[in-house]
Amino acid sequence: MIFKYVSSLLLFCTTFIYAQKVEYTSFTISDSLKENANAVIRLNQIDILISSQRNMNVITKRIVTVLNEKGLDAIDAVGNYDKRTTIRNIETTVYDAFGKEIKKFKRKDFKDQSAVGGGTLFSDNRYLYLDYTPIQYPFTIVFDSEIETSTTAFIPDWRPLNSYFVSVEKSILNVKYPDNLGFKKMEFNFFNFKIEKTLDTSTNLSYTATNILAQKQEDYSPVVSTIFPKLMMGLELFHLEGVDGNAKTWKEFGQWYSDKILLGTTDLPDETKMKVKALVGDEKDPIKKAKLIYNFVQHKVRYISIQVGIGGWKPMLASDVDRLGYGDCKALTNYTKALLDVVNVPSYYTILYGDRKKLNIQSEFVSMQGNHVILSIPNGDNYTWLECTSQDDPFGYQGIFTDDREVLVIKPEGGEIVRTKIYEDKGNTQISKGSYSLTANGDFSGKITIVSGGSQYSQKASIENLQPTEKEAHYKDYWGHINNLKINKISFSNDKDKINLTENLAVEAVKYGSLTSNKLIFAVNAFNKTSAYVKRIRNRTNSLEIQRGFFDEDEINVVLPLGFSVEYMPAYYELSNKFGTYTTEIIKIDSSNLVYKRTLFIKKGLFSNKEYDEYRLFIEQISKNDNAKIILTSNQ
Amino acid sequence: MKCNKLVIILFCTFYFYKANAQDFKLGNVSVEELQEKNHEMDSTAVAAILFEKGAVHFEYTQDDGFKMITQVTTRIKIYKKEGYEWANKAVSYYIGSNAKEILSFSDVATYNLINGKIEKTKLKSDGEFDEKVNKYWGRKKITLPNVKVGSVVEFKYVVRSSRFSELTEWSFQSSIPVNYSEFKTFIPEYFDYNPNIKGFVSPNITKEKSSKSLSYSYKPKVMPGDNLHTSTSQEKLEFVETRTVYIAENLPAMKEEAYVNNIANYTTSVSHELSVVKFPNQPYQTLSTDWPSVTKTIYDYEDFGPELNKTGYFEEDLKVVLAGLSSADEKILAIFNHVKASVKWNDYYGYSCDDGVKKAYKDKTGNVAEINLMLTAMLRHVGLTANPVLVSTRSNGIAFFPNRTAFNYVIAAVETPNGLVLLDATDPFSTPNILPLRALNWVGRLIRKDGTSIEVDLMPKASSNDVVIMNYEIDAKGEVSGRLKRQRTDYNAIIFRGNTKNIKEDTYLEKLENENDKIEISDYSRTNEKDLKLPILENFAFSGSNFSEIIGGSIYINPMLFFAVTQNPFKQEIRAYPVDYGFPFLDKYNITIKIPEGYKVESVPTPLLLNMEDNLGGFKFMINTLDNAIQLVLTHQINVPIVIADYYPMLKEFYQKMIEKQNEKIVLIKK
Repeated sequence: MIFKYVSSLLLFCTTFIYAQKVEYTSFTISDSLKENANAVIRLNQIDILISSQRNMNVITKRIVTVLNEKGLDAIDAVGNYDKRTTIRNIETTVYDAFGKEIKKFKRKDFKDQSAVGGGTLFSDNRYLYLDYTPIQYPFTIVFDSEIETSTTAFIPDWRPLNSYFVSVEKSILNVKYPDNLGFKKMEFNFFNFKIEKTLDTSTNLSYTATNILAQKQEDYSPVVSTIFPKLMMGLELFHLEGVDGNAKTWKEFGQWYSDKILLGTTDLPDETKMKVKALVGDEKDPIKKAKLIYNFVQHKVRYISIQVGIGGWKPMLASDVDRLGYGDCKALTNYTKALLDVVNVPSYYTILYGDRKKLNIQSEFVSMQGNHVILSIPNGDNYTWLECTSQDDPFGYQGIFTDDREVLVIKPEGGEIVRTKIYEDKGNTQISKGSYSLTANGDFSGKITIVSGGSQYSQKASIENLQPTEKEAHYKDYWGHINNLKINKISFSNDKDKINLTENLAVEAVKYGSLTSNKLIFAVNAFNKTSAYVKRIRNRTNSLEIQRGFFDEDEINVVLPLGFSVEYMPAYYELSNKFGTYTTEIIKIDSSNLVYKRTLFIKKGLFSNKEYDEYRLFIEQISKNDNAKIILTSNQ
Repeated sequence: MKCNKLVIILFCTFYFYKANAQDFKLGNVSVEELQEKNHEMDSTAVAAILFEKGAVHFEYTQDDGFKMITQVTTRIKIYKKEGYEWANKAVSYYIGSNAKEILSFSDVATYNLINGKIEKTKLKSDGEFDEKVNKYWGRKKITLPNVKVGSVVEFKYVVRSSRFSELTEWSFQSSIPVNYSEFKTFIPEYFDYNPNIKGFVSPNITKEKSSKSLSYSYKPKVMPGDNLHTSTSQEKLEFVETRTVYIAENLPAMKEEAYVNNIANYTTSVSHELSVVKFPNQPYQTLSTDWPSVTKTIYDYEDFGPELNKTGYFEEDLKVVLAGLSSADEKILAIFNHVKASVKWNDYYGYSCDDGVKKAYKDKTGNVAEINLMLTAMLRHVGLTANPVLVSTRSNGIAFFPNRTAFNYVIAAVETPNGLVLLDATDPFSTPNILPLRALNWVGRLIRKDGTSIEVDLMPKASSNDVVIMNYEIDAKGEVSGRLKRQRTDYNAIIFRGNTKNIKEDTYLEKLENENDKIEISDYSRTNEKDLKLPILENFAFSGSNFSEIIGGSIYINPMLFFAVTQNPFKQEIRAYPVDYGFPFLDKYNITIKIPEGYKVESVPTPLLLNMEDNLGGFKFMINTLDNAIQLVLTHQINVPIVIADYYPMLKEFYQKMIEKQNEKIVLIKK
């Protein structure tokens, strides 16, 4: 679903060779930079020369000392190119720990590869990459490249710190630009790092970052774009694949996009127009009309990504999608829009970052952003959002790929930043009702109905389409704590209007309860153990972010075996704090019938690094109590 | 096998292939096929191959000599949205400078049923993509138009090739059901191909020899003094063509199962390798018909045998390495370590050298062949009987048949009075007779200097041990603290060393703590990390609070703590393929538990002894209660590297009982 990566456009290059190879020795690196580091960036100098609206050179010199195998990615000796981007130079030299040259790679030694992969059927983007087998660690590699492109709509972000477990001795950015193209920039997350602006004039900008320590990756951290330093840059007068652009505001940007990229792409054959009009009939309500059209699209097309030339940004013609029955996110969104135009329902092409993590279009900085496209339809004061690449999603459902984030809506009168639908914590539900019984041997047989809604729907909906063996594997994994599990029945019902997925299962397992002397011990919560796994982290530094909240409720009837009586049974339990609320309760109906009730409510939120351990202990406590046992004693 | 060797003097044209007009013809899609909602035999199938036909024949042209033509026609039914990917097809073709292949798609169309009528949508050029993958390979892709649930798609492609050494491997089975699969070969008498069939299904084979004749034009070479107007004469050549047809019908979908090393080993397929080339008036050229000729051919390859004879590049260094050593074992180890230390593996497989052993030695980096052939050469140089052993890695599938292309890897073997010592210097943690797991794939083929060969069993016979000695005490809150020592040998050691390579101790411990119910570890040490011939030892103190439950004043605790296996790895009800452990092993736990002051043992799990059928493995659980302590000795062993599927029900039950026992609790009560 992702269209042309910004990073695939541009990158790197060469200048002059340093006279002193002493600089390449591995011994001069300070201990603090080696801490937690698999590689140390000794120098990463990027010189960006924008000579006109249609020409940009990016020259990179990167010196990296790789400390071990895991640090190899930091070399990043790659050059991307396509019809409008040329690699003018690319080479590297490898030095041993003493600064002695081991090997040199010229352009011809780089491997040439098509940039297809990850769901893309075809792309005319290609890249050169270095395939080097280190013979010893540490070693130092000098990478030089120069890339020239006519596309100035993307000026690569400057990210002095780009990945975890890599430290940076020095990172330099020099940008040169004419004063009449409206060059602009914006700094993000600079405050925690040693970054100095050394030059800032109407034609020059320079930064230097020094001694950035290696960062450890930590679970439940906020997205990288809110932690690592980043400088965004852009031009008000830019060029993209043969098209000039001019925009100071989102309004102007949207207008340009509308006029230059989208215009003329929505024509449809008359036959299709008639078909769609007939489909809609007398329906007046725009949302109801849209629903009919969305259903039509879902049955007609399939998702295939093809990225050729401006097609990397411009959607395939709606008439082509109509004829071929496939397209990528841009094509399918634009096609749906074209069909809606026919039945007079206004809708807008909408650019965003599609990701399970909530990534925003950086609203304060007007530039080409995003990796995905959806459609928005005005609905009262709000919008209904359509994911046009899915053949299964319910109408207007956003799941966890496009929800709750800032997006750019392209209207004919201009662009506008809007936040997509927020799924409330309490609405992300999983409601389970069921029963199970145990025999005197501890054998288990049970039935359960699980109804999932809100963002939990999207996690469950895909199970329905799995192959039977995969379904079985899914449940055997989901209930992995029940050994010898046998699944006797699986059925689903999918209510796309209410956005509810119901799973119905009948299961059994021998020896669920363990019989020790005359006692039968079993965990009362058989069907919903918390799956959250919160690691112990030594010295956590990042904040804790819970991206989405949820609410689970279980009510399970438990039938005890004949001839046993309850020796011990857990009492009512409640745990409540800033992260959420958890309760369990066992109600004794009679000598052989119990009802187990459990609720778990987790709130979304952003917490400090200090609160991480509190959260870990909260989840651990829940996990412990989810394991609480009942002890039965045989009456014989 | 280079194609230009096949250029012959004859100028002739062959006319012997004619498209077969059988039932399955592209374009004849029926209404019934389009109406079908589910596959007849497998209602869960997302798509099915209604038919797939392949045919290979040869053509001769004056300019190019022989060409091998492979033609494939396919019809696929799409039952579900999840089957849409079957409406995309990608075929790779060779574009290396010496023998470019030409690939073309044709007759590509989608069929739908619209209001009871068949609607055909043809593929236009905008649905076909040609991609240069790298220097050697191109790839053409098609994506069919107008595909819906219920569509039938068809396509045909033809590859023209001068790479004759093998025919395309024909898989009769797929991850979706196949209704009809047919593979035909039309081989003129000038070529012999060895067919190799594997898998669980036997295709029906028919063979037919027919006499063919062809006419060609012949123009004698102009010799000095000849009349310049020599005429072209029409000649006739008789030859025998063998037509072989393989047919398999109603093949179920191949489904992945856990603990299968490579599902391709079980897929029904036929492959063909060129064994003999015999042109009129030319000597026979034998390539491979059996193991001796396969290995001889490989040995004679420029990038193989001759590389074993080069010695000059290492002689000086070897003098230093071997100084003062006398016994064969010492020499083997010294040379093995020298190669490991001097040349790094560049992650490339293959039994033939890329840049050659000399360059690899100089550059300190090389592929599998360079490293292990260099090792063999050094061992030979000091007078040992060393030979290369061809291997097919686990990812490459098992080498079932005498076939040059069956192998993709080579190791070294030394004959010693105590038997064969197998060596692989590509892995930094490998030791004599402990090969990296990737090379453990049933059997290899040892080649001697004279080109003769013998089969070598690669699978480990000796058990790899994992021995844990753990002492801990429980306090009245149910929390535990103690020490443990863990010793890993052979394969357990090579795996451990590989997994912990380059991992900082802090990171490793954090992982170890989290994977073991969040224990806290202190006083950690590791012994013999670098000394590969010794077992690797870990030693640490730990404490943890997640192991016990206090219920009504009694402490319930699992004596194995974090070592208890809680889930049966064998979850499937039935299994078609063998269970591949890779190597035999013995896990042993020696656990001493001190109980808290003021408590006494109320019950402990009963002892248990399980023996698997045919001595495949066993489980022993012995427990002993003393005054204030409990002693537990537990062993679990599997004596064979591979357990065949027939034993699966037994194996599953064995694991079930073993896991039940491992999860029984000790109950402590107040005195």
